[in-house]
Amino acid sequence: MINSVSPYLLHIGVMAGIYVLLVLSLNLMLGYCGLLSLATPAFVGLGAYASALLTLRLGCDSSLTLVAALVLGAASGVILGIPSLRLSRHSFVIVTLSATLLLQLVASNWVDLTRGALGLADIPSLRFGSFRIDGKPAWLATMVVVAALGIGVFWTIVSSRLGRAMVAVRDNEPLAVATGIDVMKIRLFAFACSGAFAALGGACYAHYLSFIDPGLFGFSISEALLVMVILGGSGTLWGPVLGAIVFTVLPEALRMAPELRSLLYGVLLLGFVLFMPEGLARCLSRPVNRAASAEAGQ
Amino acid sequence: MDASLLLQLGANGLSVGLGYGLAAIGLALVFGILGQVNFAHGEIYMLAAFVLWWLVKWFGLSYGAGFALMLLLMAGVGLLMAEAVFLPTLNRSFESVILASLAVSIILQNAVRLVFGATPQRIATPLESVNLELGSVLLFGQRLMVAAMAIASMLMLSAFLRKTETGRAMRAMAQSKEACQMVGIDPRRITRITAMMGAALCALAAGAMAPMFDLYPNMGTDIVFKSFAVVIIGGMGNVAGAALAGVLLGVAESYAGGLLGAVFRDGIGFALMIAMLLLRPQGLFGKSVRV
Repeated sequence: MINSVSPYLLHIGVMAGIYVLLVLSLNLMLGYCGLLSLATPAFVGLGAYASALLTLRLGCDSSLTLVAALVLGAASGVILGIPSLRLSRHSFVIVTLSATLLLQLVASNWVDLTRGALGLADIPSLRFGSFRIDGKPAWLATMVVVAALGIGVFWTIVSSRLGRAMVAVRDNEPLAVATGIDVMKIRLFAFACSGAFAALGGACYAHYLSFIDPGLFGFSISEALLVMVILGGSGTLWGPVLGAIVFTVLPEALRMAPELRSLLYGVLLLGFVLFMPEGLARCLSRPVNRAASAEAGQ
Repeated sequence: MDASLLLQLGANGLSVGLGYGLAAIGLALVFGILGQVNFAHGEIYMLAAFVLWWLVKWFGLSYGAGFALMLLLMAGVGLLMAEAVFLPTLNRSFESVILASLAVSIILQNAVRLVFGATPQRIATPLESVNLELGSVLLFGQRLMVAAMAIASMLMLSAFLRKTETGRAMRAMAQSKEACQMVGIDPRRITRITAMMGAALCALAAGAMAPMFDLYPNMGTDIVFKSFAVVIIGGMGNVAGAALAGVLLGVAESYAGGLLGAVFRDGIGFALMIAMLLLRPQGLFGKSVRV
Protein backbone atom coordinates (compact mmCIF):
# COMPACT_ATOMS: atom_id res chain seq x y z
CA MET A 1 0.00 0.00 0.00
CA ILE A 2 2.80 2.32 0.95
CA ASN A 3 4.18 2.10 -2.58
CA SER A 4 1.09 3.81 -3.93
CA VAL A 5 1.72 6.92 -1.83
CA SER A 6 3.45 9.63 -3.83
CA PRO A 7 7.23 9.93 -3.25
CA TYR A 8 6.68 13.54 -2.31
CA LEU A 9 4.48 12.64 0.66
CA LEU A 10 6.99 9.98 1.69
CA HIS A 11 9.73 12.60 1.55
CA ILE A 12 7.74 14.89 3.85
CA GLY A 13 7.26 11.95 6.20
CA VAL A 14 11.00 11.24 6.33
CA MET A 15 11.80 14.91 6.95
CA ALA A 16 9.22 15.03 9.74
CA GLY A 17 10.94 12.05 11.34
CA ILE A 18 14.31 13.82 11.18
CA TYR A 19 12.81 17.01 12.62
CA VAL A 20 11.29 15.02 15.49
CA LEU A 21 14.83 14.05 16.55
CA LEU A 22 16.02 17.67 16.32
CA VAL A 23 13.04 18.93 18.26
CA LEU A 24 13.81 16.45 21.06
CA SER A 25 17.28 17.97 21.18
CA LEU A 26 16.04 21.53 21.60
CA ASN A 27 13.11 20.66 23.85
CA LEU A 28 15.35 18.88 26.34
CA MET A 29 17.37 22.09 26.80
CA LEU A 30 14.73 24.78 26.41
CA GLY A 31 11.72 22.94 27.78
CA TYR A 32 13.18 20.83 30.57
CA CYS A 33 16.32 22.75 31.56
CA GLY A 34 15.05 26.25 30.80
CA LEU A 35 18.21 27.01 28.83
CA LEU A 36 17.92 28.38 25.32
CA SER A 37 20.50 26.47 23.30
CA LEU A 38 21.16 27.58 19.74
CA ALA A 39 23.77 24.84 19.35
CA THR A 40 21.39 22.26 17.88
CA PRO A 41 22.47 23.05 14.28
CA ALA A 42 26.09 22.62 15.41
CA PHE A 43 25.35 19.10 16.61
CA VAL A 44 23.31 18.40 13.48
CA GLY A 45 26.23 19.46 11.31
CA LEU A 46 28.78 17.52 13.35
CA GLY A 47 26.70 14.36 13.18
CA ALA A 48 26.03 14.78 9.47
CA TYR A 49 29.65 15.47 8.54
CA ALA A 50 31.04 12.76 10.83
CA SER A 51 28.76 10.05 9.53
CA ALA A 52 29.10 11.14 5.89
CA LEU A 53 32.90 11.37 6.03
CA LEU A 54 33.30 8.02 7.77
CA THR A 55 31.17 6.44 5.05
CA LEU A 56 32.73 8.26 2.11
CA ARG A 57 36.37 8.14 3.14
CA LEU A 58 36.63 4.91 5.12
CA GLY A 59 33.62 2.99 3.82
CA CYS A 60 32.45 2.30 7.36
CA ASP A 61 29.25 0.41 8.08
CA SER A 62 26.32 2.62 9.12
CA SER A 63 26.02 0.94 12.51
CA LEU A 64 29.49 2.31 13.21
CA THR A 65 28.95 5.77 11.69
CA LEU A 66 25.67 6.31 13.54
CA VAL A 67 27.28 5.35 16.84
CA ALA A 68 30.17 7.66 15.99
CA ALA A 69 27.71 10.50 15.31
CA LEU A 70 25.92 9.84 18.62
CA VAL A 71 29.17 9.76 20.58
CA LEU A 72 30.51 12.86 18.83
CA GLY A 73 27.26 14.72 19.49
CA ALA A 74 27.29 13.81 23.17
CA ALA A 75 31.01 14.55 23.53
CA SER A 76 30.72 17.95 21.89
CA GLY A 77 27.76 18.69 24.15
CA VAL A 78 30.04 18.06 27.12
CA ILE A 79 32.99 19.97 25.65
CA LEU A 80 30.84 22.99 24.79
CA GLY A 81 28.85 22.68 27.99
CA ILE A 82 31.77 22.77 30.43
CA PRO A 83 32.71 26.39 29.68
CA SER A 84 29.31 27.69 28.59
CA LEU A 85 27.01 26.26 31.27
CA ARG A 86 28.95 28.06 33.98
CA LEU A 87 28.02 31.39 32.45
CA SER A 88 24.97 33.54 32.89
CA ARG A 89 22.02 32.31 30.90
CA HIS A 90 22.38 35.26 28.53
CA SER A 91 25.94 34.34 27.73
CA PHE A 92 24.97 30.70 27.24
CA VAL A 93 22.68 31.68 24.38
CA ILE A 94 25.37 33.78 22.75
CA VAL A 95 28.07 31.16 23.18
CA THR A 96 25.94 28.34 21.75
CA LEU A 97 25.14 30.53 18.76
CA SER A 98 28.78 31.49 18.29
CA ALA A 99 29.93 27.87 18.55
CA THR A 100 27.52 27.00 15.75
CA LEU A 101 28.89 29.77 13.55
CA LEU A 102 32.46 28.85 14.40
CA LEU A 103 31.79 25.29 13.22
CA GLN A 104 30.22 26.66 10.06
CA LEU A 105 33.39 28.64 9.48
CA VAL A 106 35.46 25.49 9.98
CA ALA A 107 33.23 23.45 7.65
CA SER A 108 33.51 26.15 4.98
CA ASN A 109 37.26 26.52 5.24
CA TRP A 110 38.67 23.10 6.03
CA VAL A 111 38.42 22.28 2.34
CA ASP A 112 40.66 19.18 2.44
CA LEU A 113 38.25 17.45 4.76
CA THR A 114 34.83 18.91 3.99
CA ARG A 115 35.28 20.21 0.42
CA GLY A 116 34.21 23.60 1.79
CA ALA A 117 31.26 25.35 0.23
CA LEU A 118 30.96 22.66 -2.47
CA GLY A 119 29.64 20.35 0.20
CA LEU A 120 29.77 16.56 0.32
CA ALA A 121 27.81 14.91 -2.47
CA ASP A 122 26.86 11.30 -3.24
CA ILE A 123 26.71 10.22 0.38
CA PRO A 124 25.54 6.58 0.28
CA SER A 125 22.29 5.63 1.95
CA LEU A 126 22.39 3.86 5.32
CA ARG A 127 23.80 0.32 5.06
CA PHE A 128 23.87 -2.20 7.88
CA GLY A 129 26.03 -5.17 6.81
CA SER A 130 24.50 -6.27 3.53
CA PHE A 131 21.16 -4.60 4.27
CA ARG A 132 20.80 -1.26 2.52
CA ILE A 133 17.99 1.18 3.11
CA ASP A 134 16.89 1.94 -0.42
CA GLY A 135 14.05 4.09 -1.66
CA LYS A 136 11.65 6.37 0.14
CA PRO A 137 9.27 3.75 1.61
CA ALA A 138 12.16 2.02 3.37
CA TRP A 139 13.45 5.39 4.59
CA LEU A 140 10.05 6.33 5.97
CA ALA A 141 9.83 3.06 7.86
CA THR A 142 13.36 3.58 9.21
CA MET A 143 12.67 7.13 10.32
CA VAL A 144 9.43 6.14 12.02
CA VAL A 145 11.36 3.52 13.99
CA VAL A 146 14.27 5.87 14.78
CA ALA A 147 11.97 8.73 15.79
CA ALA A 148 9.89 6.38 17.95
CA LEU A 149 13.08 5.11 19.61
CA GLY A 150 14.16 8.72 20.12
CA ILE A 151 10.85 9.61 21.72
CA GLY A 152 11.13 6.49 23.90
CA VAL A 153 14.60 7.44 25.10
CA PHE A 154 13.48 11.03 25.65
CA TRP A 155 10.49 9.86 27.68
CA THR A 156 12.74 7.59 29.75
CA ILE A 157 15.08 10.51 30.46
CA VAL A 158 12.46 13.09 31.39
CA SER A 159 10.44 10.74 33.57
CA SER A 160 13.53 9.51 35.41
CA ARG A 161 15.17 11.07 38.46
CA LEU A 162 17.44 13.00 36.12
CA GLY A 163 14.52 14.48 34.21
CA ARG A 164 12.80 15.55 37.41
CA ALA A 165 16.06 17.08 38.58
CA MET A 166 16.23 19.09 35.32
CA VAL A 167 12.75 20.46 35.94
CA ALA A 168 13.62 21.20 39.56
CA VAL A 169 16.69 23.18 38.49
CA ARG A 170 14.66 25.00 35.87
CA ASP A 171 11.91 26.01 38.27
CA ASN A 172 13.94 26.88 41.34
CA GLU A 173 17.68 26.60 41.16
CA PRO A 174 18.54 27.52 44.78
CA LEU A 175 15.98 25.06 46.11
CA ALA A 176 17.27 22.35 43.79
CA VAL A 177 20.81 22.97 44.98
CA ALA A 178 19.61 22.82 48.59
CA THR A 179 18.12 19.38 48.00
CA GLY A 180 21.50 18.14 46.85
CA ILE A 181 21.14 18.31 43.08
CA ASP A 182 24.40 18.95 41.25
CA VAL A 183 23.17 21.60 38.82
CA MET A 184 26.22 21.54 36.59
CA LYS A 185 26.13 17.74 36.25
CA ILE A 186 22.42 17.71 35.42
CA ARG A 187 22.81 20.39 32.79
CA LEU A 188 25.87 18.74 31.27
CA PHE A 189 23.96 15.48 31.02
CA ALA A 190 21.05 17.24 29.33
CA PHE A 191 23.35 19.06 26.91
CA ALA A 192 25.13 15.80 26.03
CA CYS A 193 21.78 14.11 25.34
CA SER A 194 20.70 17.14 23.33
CA GLY A 195 23.88 16.80 21.28
CA ALA A 196 23.32 13.10 20.70
CA PHE A 197 19.72 13.53 19.51
CA ALA A 198 20.68 16.28 17.09
CA ALA A 199 23.77 14.47 15.79
CA LEU A 200 21.70 11.37 15.08
CA GLY A 201 19.17 13.51 13.24
CA GLY A 202 21.99 15.12 11.27
CA ALA A 203 23.47 11.75 10.32
CA CYS A 204 20.08 10.53 9.08
CA TYR A 205 19.67 13.78 7.14
CA ALA A 206 23.06 13.36 5.42
CA HIS A 207 22.43 9.74 4.39
CA TYR A 208 18.88 10.43 3.31
CA LEU A 209 19.49 13.51 1.16
CA SER A 210 22.97 12.28 0.13
CA PHE A 211 24.22 15.88 0.07
CA ILE A 212 25.33 18.25 2.85
CA ASP A 213 27.07 21.61 2.86
CA PRO A 214 28.12 24.15 5.52
CA GLY A 215 24.65 25.74 5.27
CA LEU A 216 23.56 22.96 7.61
CA PHE A 217 25.11 24.95 10.47
CA GLY A 218 23.04 28.00 9.58
CA PHE A 219 20.41 29.67 11.69
CA SER A 220 17.48 28.49 9.56
CA ILE A 221 17.32 25.16 11.40
CA SER A 222 17.18 26.88 14.78
CA GLU A 223 14.46 29.14 13.43
CA ALA A 224 12.22 26.24 12.42
CA LEU A 225 12.99 24.29 15.60
CA LEU A 226 12.11 27.21 17.85
CA VAL A 227 8.74 27.54 16.13
CA MET A 228 8.10 23.82 16.46
CA VAL A 229 9.07 23.64 20.12
CA ILE A 230 7.48 26.85 21.33
CA LEU A 231 4.22 26.59 19.43
CA GLY A 232 3.99 22.94 20.35
CA GLY A 233 4.64 23.71 23.99
CA SER A 234 8.19 23.52 25.32
CA GLY A 235 8.58 21.31 28.35
CA THR A 236 5.95 18.83 27.19
CA LEU A 237 6.77 15.56 25.47
CA TRP A 238 4.20 15.48 22.69
CA GLY A 239 3.69 19.18 21.95
CA PRO A 240 7.03 19.74 20.22
CA VAL A 241 6.81 16.36 18.46
CA LEU A 242 3.46 17.39 17.02
CA GLY A 243 4.96 20.79 16.25
CA ALA A 244 7.74 19.08 14.27
CA ILE A 245 5.23 17.13 12.22
CA VAL A 246 2.82 20.02 11.65
CA PHE A 247 5.54 22.51 10.72
CA THR A 248 7.21 20.07 8.34
CA VAL A 249 3.94 19.31 6.58
CA LEU A 250 2.35 22.77 6.63
CA PRO A 251 4.91 24.77 4.62
CA GLU A 252 4.99 21.97 2.05
CA ALA A 253 1.21 21.74 1.88
CA LEU A 254 0.92 25.50 1.43
CA ARG A 255 3.81 25.46 -1.09
CA MET A 256 5.26 28.61 0.35
CA ALA A 257 8.34 30.43 -0.84
CA PRO A 258 11.13 30.10 1.74
CA GLU A 259 11.11 33.83 2.54
CA LEU A 260 7.38 33.83 3.12
CA ARG A 261 7.62 30.73 5.27
CA SER A 262 10.35 32.27 7.39
CA LEU A 263 8.36 35.48 7.66
CA LEU A 264 5.37 33.49 8.87
CA TYR A 265 7.61 31.64 11.35
CA GLY A 266 8.81 34.96 12.70
CA VAL A 267 5.30 36.33 13.13
CA LEU A 268 4.06 33.10 14.74
CA LEU A 269 7.04 32.98 17.07
CA LEU A 270 6.58 36.58 18.17
CA GLY A 271 2.85 36.11 18.67
CA PHE A 272 3.25 32.96 20.71
CA VAL A 273 6.12 34.27 22.82
CA LEU A 274 4.11 37.36 23.71
CA PHE A 275 0.60 35.99 24.04
CA MET A 276 0.74 32.23 24.54
CA PRO A 277 4.19 31.38 25.88
CA GLU A 278 3.12 28.00 27.20
CA GLY A 279 2.35 26.77 23.67
CA LEU A 280 -0.64 25.00 22.20
CA ALA A 281 -0.16 21.65 23.96
CA ARG A 282 -0.71 23.02 27.44
CA CYS A 283 -3.41 25.48 26.45
CA LEU A 284 -5.43 22.67 24.88
CA SER A 285 -4.71 20.09 27.53
CA ARG A 286 -5.77 22.28 30.46
CA PRO A 287 -8.98 23.98 29.39
CA VAL A 288 -10.47 23.55 32.86
CA ASN A 289 -7.54 25.16 34.60
CA ARG A 290 -7.57 28.06 32.18
CA ALA A 291 -11.24 28.67 32.74
CA ALA A 292 -10.69 28.42 36.48
CA SER A 293 -7.79 30.82 36.46
CA ALA A 294 -9.76 33.22 34.29
CA GLU A 295 -12.54 33.18 36.87
CA ALA A 296 -10.05 33.61 39.68
CA GLY A 297 -8.66 36.58 37.77
CA GLN A 298 -12.06 38.22 37.72
CA MET B 1 57.60 41.96 7.52
CA ASP B 2 58.22 45.65 7.06
CA ALA B 3 57.14 48.32 9.47
CA SER B 4 54.91 50.22 7.05
CA LEU B 5 52.71 47.15 6.52
CA LEU B 6 52.40 46.66 10.26
CA LEU B 7 51.49 50.33 10.66
CA GLN B 8 48.95 50.13 7.86
CA LEU B 9 47.38 47.02 9.41
CA GLY B 10 47.24 48.80 12.75
CA ALA B 11 45.55 51.85 11.22
CA ASN B 12 43.03 49.68 9.35
CA GLY B 13 42.32 47.71 12.49
CA LEU B 14 41.85 50.83 14.54
CA SER B 15 39.32 52.33 12.13
CA VAL B 16 37.43 49.04 11.63
CA GLY B 17 37.52 48.46 15.38
CA LEU B 18 35.99 51.85 16.12
CA GLY B 19 33.20 50.84 13.74
CA TYR B 20 32.71 47.59 15.66
CA GLY B 21 32.60 49.56 18.87
CA LEU B 22 30.03 51.93 17.41
CA ALA B 23 27.90 49.00 16.22
CA ALA B 24 28.16 47.27 19.58
CA ILE B 25 27.43 50.15 21.98
CA GLY B 26 23.74 50.11 21.04
CA LEU B 27 23.60 46.47 22.06
CA ALA B 28 25.62 47.14 25.20
CA LEU B 29 23.36 50.07 26.10
CA VAL B 30 20.17 48.01 25.81
CA PHE B 31 21.73 45.21 27.82
CA GLY B 32 23.23 47.54 30.39
CA ILE B 33 20.09 49.57 31.02
CA LEU B 34 17.32 47.05 30.41
CA GLY B 35 19.18 43.80 31.07
CA GLN B 36 17.76 42.50 27.82
CA VAL B 37 19.69 40.92 24.94
CA ASN B 38 18.51 42.23 21.62
CA PHE B 39 18.99 39.49 19.05
CA ALA B 40 17.47 41.74 16.37
CA HIS B 41 20.43 44.12 16.69
CA GLY B 42 22.06 42.88 13.50
CA GLU B 43 18.81 43.18 11.58
CA ILE B 44 18.36 46.75 12.77
CA TYR B 45 21.82 47.43 11.36
CA MET B 46 20.82 45.75 8.10
CA LEU B 47 17.49 47.57 7.92
CA ALA B 48 19.21 50.91 8.54
CA ALA B 49 21.60 50.29 5.65
CA PHE B 50 18.74 49.32 3.35
CA VAL B 51 16.62 52.32 4.37
CA LEU B 52 19.56 54.61 3.60
CA TRP B 53 20.06 52.91 0.23
CA TRP B 54 16.34 53.24 -0.51
CA LEU B 55 16.24 56.93 0.43
CA VAL B 56 19.28 57.70 -1.71
CA LYS B 57 18.24 55.58 -4.65
CA TRP B 58 14.50 56.22 -4.90
CA PHE B 59 14.13 59.70 -3.49
CA GLY B 60 17.40 61.01 -4.84
CA LEU B 61 18.48 62.33 -1.46
CA SER B 62 22.15 63.07 -0.93
CA TYR B 63 24.11 60.72 1.30
CA GLY B 64 24.09 63.23 4.17
CA ALA B 65 20.39 64.06 4.00
CA GLY B 66 19.46 60.42 3.57
CA PHE B 67 21.64 59.57 6.56
CA ALA B 68 19.90 62.11 8.81
CA LEU B 69 16.42 61.04 7.75
CA MET B 70 17.37 57.39 8.14
CA LEU B 71 18.52 57.99 11.71
CA LEU B 72 15.12 59.46 12.56
CA LEU B 73 13.29 56.58 10.92
CA MET B 74 15.43 54.05 12.74
CA ALA B 75 14.80 55.71 16.08
CA GLY B 76 11.14 55.12 15.22
CA VAL B 77 11.95 51.47 14.56
CA GLY B 78 13.58 51.40 17.98
CA LEU B 79 10.34 52.70 19.47
CA LEU B 80 8.45 49.95 17.65
CA MET B 81 10.93 47.42 19.05
CA ALA B 82 10.22 48.76 22.52
CA GLU B 83 6.47 48.46 22.05
CA ALA B 84 6.61 45.01 20.43
CA VAL B 85 9.42 43.35 22.34
CA PHE B 86 10.91 45.12 25.33
CA LEU B 87 7.78 46.48 27.03
CA PRO B 88 5.63 43.32 26.85
CA THR B 89 8.53 41.30 28.22
CA LEU B 90 9.65 43.84 30.83
CA ASN B 91 8.71 41.57 33.73
CA ARG B 92 9.13 38.25 32.00
CA SER B 93 11.99 35.76 31.86
CA PHE B 94 14.94 36.69 29.72
CA GLU B 95 14.17 33.84 27.31
CA SER B 96 10.99 35.65 26.25
CA VAL B 97 13.02 38.72 25.32
CA ILE B 98 15.56 36.70 23.38
CA LEU B 99 12.89 34.71 21.59
CA ALA B 100 10.80 37.78 20.82
CA SER B 101 13.79 39.67 19.45
CA LEU B 102 14.88 36.59 17.49
CA ALA B 103 11.40 36.54 15.99
CA VAL B 104 11.73 40.22 15.06
CA SER B 105 15.08 39.50 13.44
CA ILE B 106 13.55 36.69 11.37
CA ILE B 107 10.69 38.99 10.34
CA LEU B 108 12.96 41.89 9.38
CA GLN B 109 15.42 39.74 7.47
CA ASN B 110 12.78 38.05 5.37
CA ALA B 111 10.69 41.18 4.89
CA VAL B 112 13.74 42.98 3.50
CA ARG B 113 14.50 39.99 1.28
CA LEU B 114 10.94 40.04 -0.06
CA VAL B 115 10.82 43.80 -0.58
CA PHE B 116 14.33 44.61 -1.81
CA GLY B 117 15.42 41.20 -3.17
CA ALA B 118 18.61 39.33 -2.43
CA THR B 119 20.81 41.12 -4.99
CA PRO B 120 23.69 42.88 -3.23
CA GLN B 121 23.37 46.68 -3.37
CA ARG B 122 25.85 49.49 -2.92
CA ILE B 123 25.60 52.98 -1.45
CA ALA B 124 27.70 55.74 -2.96
CA THR B 125 29.39 58.23 -0.65
CA PRO B 126 30.91 61.64 -1.35
CA LEU B 127 34.04 60.44 0.48
CA GLU B 128 34.65 57.74 -2.13
CA SER B 129 37.86 59.22 -3.50
CA VAL B 130 38.97 61.14 -0.42
CA ASN B 131 42.07 59.60 1.07
CA LEU B 132 44.59 60.76 3.61
CA GLU B 133 48.23 59.76 3.42
CA LEU B 134 50.26 59.88 6.60
CA GLY B 135 53.79 58.87 5.67
CA SER B 136 53.43 55.37 4.29
CA VAL B 137 50.00 54.83 5.85
CA LEU B 138 46.99 55.31 3.62
CA LEU B 139 43.68 56.17 5.29
CA PHE B 140 40.39 56.08 3.40
CA GLY B 141 38.02 58.99 3.91
CA GLN B 142 35.01 56.84 4.75
CA ARG B 143 37.00 54.92 7.37
CA LEU B 144 38.09 58.18 8.94
CA MET B 145 34.47 59.30 9.04
CA VAL B 146 33.49 56.05 10.79
CA ALA B 147 36.26 56.55 13.33
CA ALA B 148 35.30 60.18 13.93
CA MET B 149 31.63 59.30 14.30
CA ALA B 150 32.45 56.47 16.67
CA ILE B 151 34.54 58.67 18.93
CA ALA B 152 32.07 61.55 18.80
CA SER B 153 29.03 59.41 19.56
CA MET B 154 30.78 57.58 22.39
CA LEU B 155 31.71 60.89 23.99
CA MET B 156 28.20 62.25 23.48
CA LEU B 157 26.59 59.12 24.88
CA SER B 158 28.87 59.28 27.87
CA ALA B 159 28.01 62.94 28.49
CA PHE B 160 24.31 62.22 28.00
CA LEU B 161 24.32 59.38 30.54
CA ARG B 162 26.21 61.46 33.11
CA LYS B 163 24.90 64.98 32.72
CA THR B 164 21.25 64.85 31.73
CA GLU B 165 18.24 64.00 33.85
CA THR B 166 17.16 61.29 31.41
CA GLY B 167 20.66 59.83 31.28
CA ARG B 168 20.82 59.62 35.05
CA ALA B 169 17.37 58.02 35.10
CA MET B 170 18.63 55.44 32.62
CA ARG B 171 21.59 54.61 34.83
CA ALA B 172 19.27 54.37 37.81
CA MET B 173 17.10 51.94 35.89
CA ALA B 174 20.18 49.79 35.27
CA GLN B 175 20.70 49.56 39.01
CA SER B 176 17.17 48.93 40.23
CA LYS B 177 13.86 49.05 38.43
CA GLU B 178 11.92 48.97 41.71
CA ALA B 179 13.84 51.86 43.22
CA CYS B 180 13.19 53.84 40.04
CA GLN B 181 9.46 53.45 40.45
CA MET B 182 9.70 54.61 44.06
CA VAL B 183 11.38 57.86 43.10
CA GLY B 184 9.02 58.48 40.19
CA ILE B 185 11.02 57.29 37.23
CA ASP B 186 8.77 55.53 34.75
CA PRO B 187 10.51 52.32 33.61
CA ARG B 188 8.35 52.21 30.49
CA ARG B 189 9.51 55.64 29.40
CA ILE B 190 13.15 54.74 30.04
CA THR B 191 12.67 51.50 28.13
CA ARG B 192 11.33 53.41 25.12
CA ILE B 193 14.16 55.94 25.22
CA THR B 194 16.81 53.26 25.62
CA ALA B 195 15.43 51.22 22.73
CA MET B 196 15.30 54.31 20.52
CA MET B 197 18.87 55.29 21.38
CA GLY B 198 20.09 51.73 20.89
CA ALA B 199 18.51 51.55 17.45
CA ALA B 200 19.77 55.02 16.49
CA LEU B 201 23.35 54.20 17.54
CA CYS B 202 23.17 50.98 15.57
CA ALA B 203 21.80 52.91 12.57
CA LEU B 204 24.62 55.44 12.91
CA ALA B 205 27.13 52.60 12.60
CA ALA B 206 25.22 51.15 9.67
CA GLY B 207 25.00 54.43 7.79
CA ALA B 208 28.68 55.17 8.27
CA MET B 209 29.94 51.70 7.39
CA ALA B 210 27.43 50.64 4.71
CA PRO B 211 29.20 52.42 1.80
CA MET B 212 32.26 50.24 2.41
CA PHE B 213 30.43 46.93 2.03
CA ASP B 214 27.79 45.26 -0.11
CA LEU B 215 24.25 45.39 1.22
CA TYR B 216 22.40 42.07 1.43
CA PRO B 217 19.62 40.81 3.70
CA ASN B 218 21.95 38.55 5.69
CA MET B 219 24.51 41.25 6.40
CA GLY B 220 23.19 41.71 9.94
CA THR B 221 24.32 38.24 10.93
CA ASP B 222 27.98 39.15 10.59
CA ILE B 223 27.65 42.36 12.51
CA VAL B 224 25.59 40.86 15.31
CA PHE B 225 28.26 38.26 16.00
CA LYS B 226 30.97 40.86 16.01
CA SER B 227 28.80 42.86 18.39
CA PHE B 228 28.18 39.89 20.65
CA ALA B 229 31.90 39.11 20.73
CA VAL B 230 32.58 42.75 21.54
CA VAL B 231 30.08 42.99 24.41
CA ILE B 232 31.27 39.70 25.87
CA ILE B 233 34.93 40.72 25.65
CA GLY B 234 34.15 44.16 27.05
CA GLY B 235 31.80 42.94 29.76
CA MET B 236 28.07 42.53 29.14
CA GLY B 237 26.32 45.86 29.43
CA ASN B 238 29.46 47.92 29.83
CA VAL B 239 29.21 50.69 27.23
CA ALA B 240 32.78 51.98 27.50
CA GLY B 241 34.04 48.41 27.69
CA ALA B 242 32.25 47.62 24.44
CA ALA B 243 33.89 50.58 22.73
CA LEU B 244 37.36 49.51 23.87
CA ALA B 245 36.72 45.86 23.09
CA GLY B 246 35.58 46.87 19.61
CA VAL B 247 38.89 48.57 18.96
CA LEU B 248 40.73 45.56 20.37
CA LEU B 249 38.81 43.18 18.13
CA GLY B 250 39.34 45.35 15.04
CA VAL B 251 43.09 45.53 15.57
CA ALA B 252 43.37 41.82 16.38
CA GLU B 253 41.36 40.97 13.26
CA SER B 254 43.43 43.24 11.08
CA TYR B 255 46.72 41.69 12.17
CA ALA B 256 45.34 38.15 12.07
CA GLY B 257 43.98 38.73 8.57
CA GLY B 258 47.07 40.49 7.27
CA LEU B 259 49.66 38.16 8.77
CA LEU B 260 47.90 34.77 8.91
CA GLY B 261 45.14 34.83 6.29
CA ALA B 262 41.51 35.77 5.85
CA VAL B 263 40.10 32.72 7.63
CA PHE B 264 41.91 33.67 10.81
CA ARG B 265 40.46 37.17 10.64
CA ASP B 266 36.95 35.73 10.95
CA GLY B 267 37.95 33.20 13.58
CA ILE B 268 39.82 35.51 15.92
CA GLY B 269 36.67 37.16 17.28
CA PHE B 270 35.31 33.80 18.34
CA ALA B 271 38.65 32.74 19.75
CA LEU B 272 38.96 35.92 21.83
CA MET B 273 35.39 35.56 23.02
CA ILE B 274 35.80 31.90 24.06
CA ALA B 275 39.10 32.68 25.77
CA MET B 276 37.47 35.55 27.63
CA LEU B 277 34.56 33.39 28.78
CA LEU B 278 36.90 30.71 30.05
CA LEU B 279 39.32 33.03 31.82
CA ARG B 280 37.23 36.01 32.80
CA PRO B 281 33.48 35.46 32.27
CA GLN B 282 32.60 38.94 33.51
CA GLY B 283 34.55 40.42 30.57
CA LEU B 284 37.58 42.68 30.54
CA PHE B 285 35.86 45.50 32.34
CA GLY B 286 33.09 43.75 34.25
CA LYS B 287 29.38 44.44 34.13
CA SER B 288 28.50 47.98 34.88
CA VAL B 289 27.11 50.93 33.03
CA ARG B 290 29.96 53.11 34.04
CA VAL B 291 30.89 55.14 31.00
